[in-house]
Amino acid sequence: MASPISVYNSNALDTHISSTSRESLKMELLADVSLLPGEDRIIDKDIIYICPFNGAVKGKVLITNYRLYFKSSDADVAVMLDVPLGAISRVEKMGGASSRGENSYGLDITCKDMRNLRFALKQEGHSRRDIFELLFKYAFPLSHSLPLFAYVTQEKYEESGWNIYKPMEEFRRQGLPNNKWRITFINKNYELCDTYPTVLAVPFKSKEEDLKRVAAFRSRGRIPVLSWIHRENQAVIVRCSQPLVGMSGKRNKDDERYLDMIREANDTPKLTIYDARPNVNAVANKATGGGYEGDEYQNAELIFLDIQNIHVMRESLKKLKDIVYPNVEESHWLSSLESTHWLEHVKLVLSGAIQVADKVSSGNSVVVHCSDGWDRTAQLTSLAMLMLDSHYRTLRGFQVLIEKEWISFGHKFASRIGHGDKNHADQDRSPIFVQFIDCVWQMTKQFPTAFEFNERLLLTILDHLYSCRFGTFLYNCENARDQHEVRSKAVSLWSLVNSKMDIYLNPFYTPESGRVLYPVASMRHLELWVTYYIRWNPRIQQQQQSPVEQRYKELLALRDEYLKKLEELQLSDSSPSSRLANSSTPNTSSTSSTPSQQYTHLQTPL
Amino acid sequence: MLTGSKTTFKVRQMLPDIKERMLSQSGVNARSRDVFGLRCLPGECVLQRAVMVRKKLTAREGRGWLSGTLFCTHFRVAFVPQDSPRPDDNADPVLLGDHDVALASIEKVVVVGPNRTKLVTPNSSLKFTPEELVLYCRDLRVICFLFDRLTPDAQVLEITYTIAKTYQPPKPGSVLSFQNAALGSVEMKQFLSNRRRNAHMNWYESVSDWEQELERCGAMGWRVSSVNDRFEMSTSLSRFIVVPHKVLDTELKKSFAHFNEGRIPRWCWRHPRGSDLLRMASFQNNIYHEKDDIRNLEMILFGCQSSLCVVVELAEELPSPADIQLAHSRLRALCLGDISTSVSVPDDKWLSTLESTHWLDYTRSCLKKASEVACLLRGGHLTVALQEADDRDMSCVVSSLVQVMCDPHCRTQHGFQSLVQKEWVMAGHRFYSRVNYHRDNDKEEAPVFLLFLDCVWQLLSQYPSRFQLTDDFLLALHDSIHLPLFSSFLANCQRERCKRSQNLGQSYTPVNGWRDMLHPDSSSDPSDPPLPPVWDWDLQYSKHRRDRFTQPVPPVPPLQPLLNGNLNTNPDTHRLTDTLPGSVFLLSRGTFSCPANLLPWRSTSSGPYKKSHRRAASSENVPGLERLLKAWALTEFPQALTSTSGPQGPLDPYEPLLPLLMGPCMGLWRECYLRGALHAQAFSHPISANHPHPVERLAQEVQQLKDKLAQVSTGTDRSPSTKTAEPRRTDANLNQNTNNGTFLFPAARPQSKAAPRMTPPPTSTTTNHQTSRGPPPASAPPSRPVRRDNGGSSSSGNKHTFLFGHSSVTEARTYPAPNNAKLPKSNGPSLAS
Repeated sequence: MASPISVYNSNALDTHISSTSRESLKMELLADVSLLPGEDRIIDKDIIYICPFNGAVKGKVLITNYRLYFKSSDADVAVMLDVPLGAISRVEKMGGASSRGENSYGLDITCKDMRNLRFALKQEGHSRRDIFELLFKYAFPLSHSLPLFAYVTQEKYEESGWNIYKPMEEFRRQGLPNNKWRITFINKNYELCDTYPTVLAVPFKSKEEDLKRVAAFRSRGRIPVLSWIHRENQAVIVRCSQPLVGMSGKRNKDDERYLDMIREANDTPKLTIYDARPNVNAVANKATGGGYEGDEYQNAELIFLDIQNIHVMRESLKKLKDIVYPNVEESHWLSSLESTHWLEHVKLVLSGAIQVADKVSSGNSVVVHCSDGWDRTAQLTSLAMLMLDSHYRTLRGFQVLIEKEWISFGHKFASRIGHGDKNHADQDRSPIFVQFIDCVWQMTKQFPTAFEFNERLLLTILDHLYSCRFGTFLYNCENARDQHEVRSKAVSLWSLVNSKMDIYLNPFYTPESGRVLYPVASMRHLELWVTYYIRWNPRIQQQQQSPVEQRYKELLALRDEYLKKLEELQLSDSSPSSRLANSSTPNTSSTSSTPSQQYTHLQTPL
Repeated sequence: MLTGSKTTFKVRQMLPDIKERMLSQSGVNARSRDVFGLRCLPGECVLQRAVMVRKKLTAREGRGWLSGTLFCTHFRVAFVPQDSPRPDDNADPVLLGDHDVALASIEKVVVVGPNRTKLVTPNSSLKFTPEELVLYCRDLRVICFLFDRLTPDAQVLEITYTIAKTYQPPKPGSVLSFQNAALGSVEMKQFLSNRRRNAHMNWYESVSDWEQELERCGAMGWRVSSVNDRFEMSTSLSRFIVVPHKVLDTELKKSFAHFNEGRIPRWCWRHPRGSDLLRMASFQNNIYHEKDDIRNLEMILFGCQSSLCVVVELAEELPSPADIQLAHSRLRALCLGDISTSVSVPDDKWLSTLESTHWLDYTRSCLKKASEVACLLRGGHLTVALQEADDRDMSCVVSSLVQVMCDPHCRTQHGFQSLVQKEWVMAGHRFYSRVNYHRDNDKEEAPVFLLFLDCVWQLLSQYPSRFQLTDDFLLALHDSIHLPLFSSFLANCQRERCKRSQNLGQSYTPVNGWRDMLHPDSSSDPSDPPLPPVWDWDLQYSKHRRDRFTQPVPPVPPLQPLLNGNLNTNPDTHRLTDTLPGSVFLLSRGTFSCPANLLPWRSTSSGPYKKSHRRAASSENVPGLERLLKAWALTEFPQALTSTSGPQGPLDPYEPLLPLLMGPCMGLWRECYLRGALHAQAFSHPISANHPHPVERLAQEVQQLKDKLAQVSTGTDRSPSTKTAEPRRTDANLNQNTNNGTFLFPAARPQSKAAPRMTPPPTSTTTNHQTSRGPPPASAPPSRPVRRDNGGSSSSGNKHTFLFGHSSVTEARTYPAPNNAKLPKSNGPSLAS
């Protein structure tokens, strides 16, 4: 990872040696950009960045096939921008050749990651034409028949992140298959359901024909399949899409029997079906052929979780952006925040997941669905699994969780994010995954020692959700990923993460398996994720280094210092203090071990 | 249950308790102890008890339930967990156990029945047997007890009635009876009058106390004046005030009349860059200014900086006491909900309702004002005078916040206590009226001090690693203010405090021994009990709780004991030396101005001022000042961040902690205000008290290593610094070894029997962490270095002799003057050498 960068750096320097001294001075501004292997310079240009916090800043912009990079030329105002083109949702021209006023002619860029960028250019000579066109082309490669950067990059990592999740291994970890649940490969060619993975866990008693008949009655063939099983009580989380009840109130005996098989698998007296939608939405869905499980389902209860749809979430986050960027709404901050309803949506998602987790941990199997079972359903099942299973709270386990519940089960990342697509107003876009990560962050706040990973991992995941540098979040489902050969042609985000794990580790992590985490889903205890949503505000950045973490590091240093001194003292003075040496022998021996070993060793008695 | 029988039942129930108490008092060693494990205070008697009760634990306590016995005494509702260790009869009395609540803290008593909730008043009678007893406290705690089916119904009803009858309904006069219940017994009075003051903090009660502070700050050109010694100049000011050296007392006396309540400009603190912070009341305007007066006034106001003075007007942007009171009562209502109906604000309206309390706005405005002042002071060489009409509310808040921001000493527990003592207690904040202990003056009530604590909490939450004190300490202080027991809070000024202590008879001056042993009934003594200061934490809380008041290892950089007054190393300070001497500016709403009537004596056109003084420069210096203030605004802008807050660079310890005040950065002190929201308790520490946060664990480990290091280095070079580490261990051993070890402190035992009050535990509470937070010594693994002496005491005789020899040395050193023991933390540098 490090070497290719330096190669590219020196390349960059080479190109500028030939330029004039004045030029090179300016170019040096951009010389320190560490480009990725496979990243190519497209254009650079003198430009004025209209920083919402500093005002207009003169500098130079560099556009590559991966990023937009800006650096101020004025040494007093050190402003730097490094934006992956994938994060751009919209590029517009601002002002015209005849526009009056300073800095009124330029570009207006809207980003997917809660910021907007404005650049001003000289009005003479259509100076923005080339940069606009190139930016537009490389920010939206799919709209211009260009490959996404993930297919261009030459990054190499020791460990391939594509291996982090192997469905069969994960099922085995959960103790599957067993005498109640079997693994089926009926979908190996994506014939049963084109948005599902190939390997599915279904009730042991169900026959392949049953599955096909059930698929016919479930929206997009997304049949109920097992996501997670409780090791002790064998209660399961099953996910699916809505039943195709329709206006006429159709019934499907096979579907009813199939759900009852799920119930029977651990003798749950009553199967609980969580419909993530608000009741009215579920009813309205009947008009389009969907619906929900009615009374005909014996031994089942249906609970609506009142989580709003993707459009509501999108608008809510948009409102949030309005009050935090560029300037934080100051005068009525809390009521403005309340009026975005963002935290309230987070709360509903969390409390839905809590209900699921609670049911399962008390031994009852649950079925979770929404309309298509790829947005709210993924949120609920993955959060419930995070609460129930401490494995998913580890750094690697969390990667598995995302790969499993989101990527392989067909959360429509391509549609929701719009990778490389210029159509910024697409109604399919929605920050569902961001919302999930926010929920995870809320949990890490409430349980600061329960997660092996830290906030930085969550931020990295969200950054690369948009960046298109990795193949991980590309495309809508496994089927599409296979067709585009993502695994062989692109790098996984987890390759990057696992190559430098230490920066993503939470120093306070204290493993505690078998403990269910119930976060408090109340507005009184939820917080806005300031370090994500308001991170572009320079006032917030200051806070990014967690003071507690800083203190922990200080203490670690202090401890090592003391240990060293102690060792020195004991070495220098072995003769007169046999008494002391006597009493401290166990400690002396451990001093020689590494600090971390020493630490755990000392702490175990607690 | 027949209600009629209850009173008689109660009387019968009480009798054995009294008898028990009498019995236990006649014993020399044992203090009163209930058979169910409650350690009563001297003179405290159990009115009622209920067995098999479960207490609901808060998030902080690790959640869940704890079973035990519930007691109601004249003074408190106490709860003793089932398997709590046998209390040590010889230990000094502690007012409140970890699970106790003082009756005076209780605001409402609510019972929950099978399907109903009822507010219990002294006169109410219950038609059902409660399943739950909920105590809503004034300090925003909510304590919930669950009665088991095994709790006898009679006990449930009796204890509910008893609590409802004996808790202090807010009415005049109840305070005294409460004080008497807590402290009124002869033994308690005796005990209290023998308490030693905490010598680690500055009490500002004597000239030397003030001089010590002047020295600590390196403030030259100031002196302590005792012109107000008899409170003749100003009734609300303290006995001693700090004024410029060059002003004589005779000149000073003439100045008092020019200020409201005689609160002349006084020195509070000196920034290490050489600026002085003053505070004063508003000017008396309709007074003729003699020529001499003017000279004196100017001298006092300009202090030692002849050049520049900035008057910071506090009234305009800060909330009034009435605002604060309204905000706080709204906040209370919001956080606790409507108690009797258990209706609370719907969750989706929480944020806007919280906003509409304005509590956070007020916190923010105080912090903002203090930040401005801190930035001005940082500029160096000017005088900042805080001015408020009566100089007794917001100037307390702002002056002490400035010092918390700028002076690392004020972020230690003892430094903070000294600060509160200086800027609140001695400066005459009207605690008595503002807290309204007697519920007889609602119009004056305003929790100004609680607003200050919230501000400090905001700073703490933004800069946790820069504080030695913890939010547990702030919480304890927050709760203590609701207890009408402390001399610190039960008066409006030093004069009132002095009056009260004079009224106390001389009969309780320190005496060795239980003088009143023969008169066990003298708890009916009519004189008021002596009130302890709030800082006597040993009296209030168990060691376990006190240990959490400070961070186990003090934050780095180490706090320097003495500032040299001239830390003018900062090159970028825009020196304001070009200023004409005698310029006065007004800072208001973030801008500087020099209104003509700022100093009344200068505004009178025909007054003697014109004749003798040249007119001060007008707005020439405003830009220079604004640049200083900009440093504050810089936190709002990015460039400053890269230069000032490099996490790796050495931190200037006097760089003020400027808080971020954007809406999203202002937090709600959930651990305080939402303690009571039982339905929605997040556990910020999911791994409970038994599993402290890894940072705490690491800190403990570092502390242990430090101790061990100290120990090892004594072994080799016998440096005197180890003395600080040793007494703590012997202190812990004292309890440990009374049972089985006869060899420890043979001399100390009889002495402590004869004069138990002579030996307050050595005040090393802040650092003695391993003894309380670690596992009990018996189970201590051999790898724990600090346990060496504990474990060793039962294994090898060789160590005994060592220990014995050593501890007797420390005994000899500590007992005559226990307060001389240095803070072990100051050990750091000597270790490094």
